[in-house]
Amino acid sequence: MTVSGERRAWGWVAHLREGGTTPWAAWHGEGDREGVYLPGAQQLELLRRLHLASREGRSQPSPRLVERVIDASAPGRGTPDLELVGATDESSFGPRPVDPADLAAAELTRVATSLLAEDLVAAGAPPVPEASFVRPWRTRYRMVGDPWLADPARAALTGRGRPPGGRGSVVLVLGRDLATMLTDAWTSRCFDEGSLPWREWLDPFTVGPRVPPRIDLERAAATWARRLGPARVRVVLDPTILPRLVGVRRALPQAPDLAADAVDLARQVAAVLGLLVLPPLRRDLLRGTLLPRLVDAPGPRLLLPAEHAAWATQRAERMRDRLLRAGYAVHGDLDLLVPRPETVAPAGASGPTEAGVLALAVRLLLDETQEAPR
Amino acid sequence: MTTRRRLLLHVGTPKTGTSYLQDVLHRNRRTLAAAGISYPADRFDAHFLAALDLMRLPWGGLETEAIGAWDRLAEQVRAHHGTSIISHEIFAAASRSQVGRALRDLGHGDGTEIHVVLSVRDLVRQIPAEWQENVKHRSSISYARFLRQVQDPSREGRIASWFWSVQEVPDILNRWGHDLPPEHVHLVTVPPPGGAPEVLWKRFSQAFGLDGLDLDLEAERVNPSLGVPETALIRRINAAANRQLPPADYRPLVRELLAHQTLSQRVGSPRLALPPEVHPWVRELEDSWVGEIRERGYDVIGDLADLTGSPPPATWADPDSPSETQVASAAVDAIKALLLENGRLQQEAAGLRGDLDTAHRDLERSYLRPTYRLREKLVRGLQTSRLGRGALKGYRLARGRSSRSA
Repeated sequence: MTVSGERRAWGWVAHLREGGTTPWAAWHGEGDREGVYLPGAQQLELLRRLHLASREGRSQPSPRLVERVIDASAPGRGTPDLELVGATDESSFGPRPVDPADLAAAELTRVATSLLAEDLVAAGAPPVPEASFVRPWRTRYRMVGDPWLADPARAALTGRGRPPGGRGSVVLVLGRDLATMLTDAWTSRCFDEGSLPWREWLDPFTVGPRVPPRIDLERAAATWARRLGPARVRVVLDPTILPRLVGVRRALPQAPDLAADAVDLARQVAAVLGLLVLPPLRRDLLRGTLLPRLVDAPGPRLLLPAEHAAWATQRAERMRDRLLRAGYAVHGDLDLLVPRPETVAPAGASGPTEAGVLALAVRLLLDETQEAPR
Repeated sequence: MTTRRRLLLHVGTPKTGTSYLQDVLHRNRRTLAAAGISYPADRFDAHFLAALDLMRLPWGGLETEAIGAWDRLAEQVRAHHGTSIISHEIFAAASRSQVGRALRDLGHGDGTEIHVVLSVRDLVRQIPAEWQENVKHRSSISYARFLRQVQDPSREGRIASWFWSVQEVPDILNRWGHDLPPEHVHLVTVPPPGGAPEVLWKRFSQAFGLDGLDLDLEAERVNPSLGVPETALIRRINAAANRQLPPADYRPLVRELLAHQTLSQRVGSPRLALPPEVHPWVRELEDSWVGEIRERGYDVIGDLADLTGSPPPATWADPDSPSETQVASAAVDAIKALLLENGRLQQEAAGLRGDLDTAHRDLERSYLRPTYRLREKLVRGLQTSRLGRGALKGYRLARGRSSRSA
C-alpha cells in the first residue's frame, strides 16, 4: 500500500464520516489510519450517497448510521468488498480496485439491504389485529385466488371477528386481469419469502402453458369444487361486490398499489431477513413493518412487459373459457381477466430500475428512527 | 490455574479434504475434549451454519437453521479455556469486514490467541472440482462457460466472484491474516495425486495439534468426486428438473442419493480434468501464488510445490460433449437407484399406513364404548336448547377447561 494512497483513502473516510460528499476521484486530502482495514468502496460510496440525499431535503444520517454503513458487508454471493483505486499498490491478487463512482447501483443496494433488514428486525412486527370475539353468526367463507387481493381482505375480516372457514363455507376465488395478477403473484412472493428478480421469475412462465400457481384461478376453483362441489365456488372479479359476499357493509382494504422499485427492494430485503428471522416473522416484518413505509414510494408501478402481452391474453382467454365451461357462479365479467392495454408496459419499459431501488433504499435508511438493531 | 484461550480457525479451501476433517473432528468430540480441545458443534454442519450466519449467505433454505448460529459458536469459543477448533471451507469467502467481526467476536485482542489454517490444493484440480460442486448445487452451467467466467479478469458474475473468493489463496490470506502475525497463519498443502491417502491427514493432525490422540479416523462423511459422464448427467438433470424440484428435495435425491451414493461409486469413467489449453494460464497463476506465499513467511505444513498442478493428461474428456454411451450407462444406474429408493419409501409408507389404520381402529373401538355413546348423546341433546347450552357451559367452566373442540 503506498503511503500517500493510504493516507488519501483514510482522509476520504474521515471526510465522509463528517458528512462530506466529494467523490473519491476528486478527493486530494489526507488522513490518519482509523481502523484495522480500509472500508470497502461499496460502503463508502453508499455513505456518500446518503449524505447527498440528505442535502436534498432528507434528514442527516445519524453518527450511528454512518458507522453501521462503514462496518457493513454486502450479504449473499456477489462482488466482494472492493478496494479504492489508487489507495493501494497494484496487487496481482484479489478483485480489482475501483473508483466508487463507477460502481453499479445494485452493488450499493446490496449493502443497504443488510442495514434495512437489521432496522426491520429492530423495529419489530406490529401486533396482528385480533378480534376480541368470533361472530358465531358470520357468513362462512374461504378466500383464495390472487393473493395480493385476498390476503388483506382476509386479514381485515379476521380482525373484525370473521375468520375464514367453518361449516358451509363458500369459496371466493378472487382475481382481476391476468397481467396485473402476474405482478400481484410476484409482489406477493417478494413480501413473503423473497423471489427471483422480476424477469427471471416471469420469463420462464411465458414459454409454458401454465400461469403461476398462486394466480391459477381455474386450478384453485377446480380444487375447491372437488372438495365442496362447484355450487359453493364463486369467482369474484368485481371487488365492490366482495363485502356483500362476506356479509359486511364496511369496505374491505384494497391491495396496496406499489411502485416497481418498492417491490424489488422488498424482494432484496426479504433475502437478508431470511438470515435474521424465521419465515413467519419475516412475512410479518415485510408486510407489517416494511410495506407501510413503501406505499408512497415514487416511481411507476410494475406492469407486464409488452412482449408477454400476447401470451397473457391467450392464457387469460383460456382461463375465462374454462371457468365459464365449469359453470361456477361469477361476480363480475369474466372478460375482465383479459389484460387491458393500460396493464401492459409500453415496449421496452417495465420492471424495477437499479437506480430507483437504490434511491428508495437510501430514503428508507435516512427515514429510519435509527434505533439500535438486535 | 487459568488456561490460555487458543483458537485454530480453519477457513478453507473447498475440496481439500475438509468434509473428512470435519467428520473426524465431530465424531471424536469427546476424545478431543478429554485432551482439552473443544470442537464446539452439536451437529456435523454447525460451523457451516455459523458461517452462513456470519456472512449472511442464503443457501437453498438452510439459512433458516443458521439464525444466531455464529453468535452461539463465538460464545462457546470464548467460554472454553483451552484450545478450540472451528472448521468450514466457506469461511474463505468472508469479506474484510466479516473477518474483522469474526476475529473480534472470537476474542482477538481480548486474550484469545487465534491461528488461521488454510488447506490448499493446486488449481489444476480445484477448477474442475469447483465446476462439479456448482453442478452438484443445481447449476446447469457448461464447463466451457464456467471456465470462461473464471478466466475473465473482471470476475463479474456470481460464479467468478465466488470461485475466486474461496480459491485465490493469497487474497484469502490477505483477508484472514492481515491482522495476525505470519507465524499464526498455517498453510496445509494437499499432496499431489497418487500419494498415500494418510499423508493429508498427518498434515491436518500436525496443524491442529492432534498428534498422539487416539482418534477414530473411519470416514462417514466425505464429499466424493464424480467422473465426466456422471457430472454431465447431473447437469442435464438440473436443466430438466430445477424449476420443479424444490431445494429441500434436491439435496437428498440428487446431491446425496444420485451424486454421492450412486454415481460417485462408478469406477472406470474418465475423470474431470482441466483442458490442456488452460494449463499455461493456470501454471502462471500457481507460480505467482507460490512466490507470494513464500515471501510472506507463513507456516507451511507440507510442501509449497504441491500447489503446482500436474501436467495435462494424454487424453482429455470434455464434459460438455461426453460419450453418450457412458452417460446412458450412468443414467441406468441413476434410474435403478431411484427405483430402489422409491420401493423403500413405498414400503415405509405402507408400514406407516398400517400403523395409522391400527390407530384408527383403536380410536373407533374407544368411541364404541357404551359410556362414550351415552355422553355423546347427552351433549347432543343439551346443545339443542338454550338451557342445555347454559348447563354445558357451566359444567365446562366448573371443570376448568374448554371441551368445545372435543
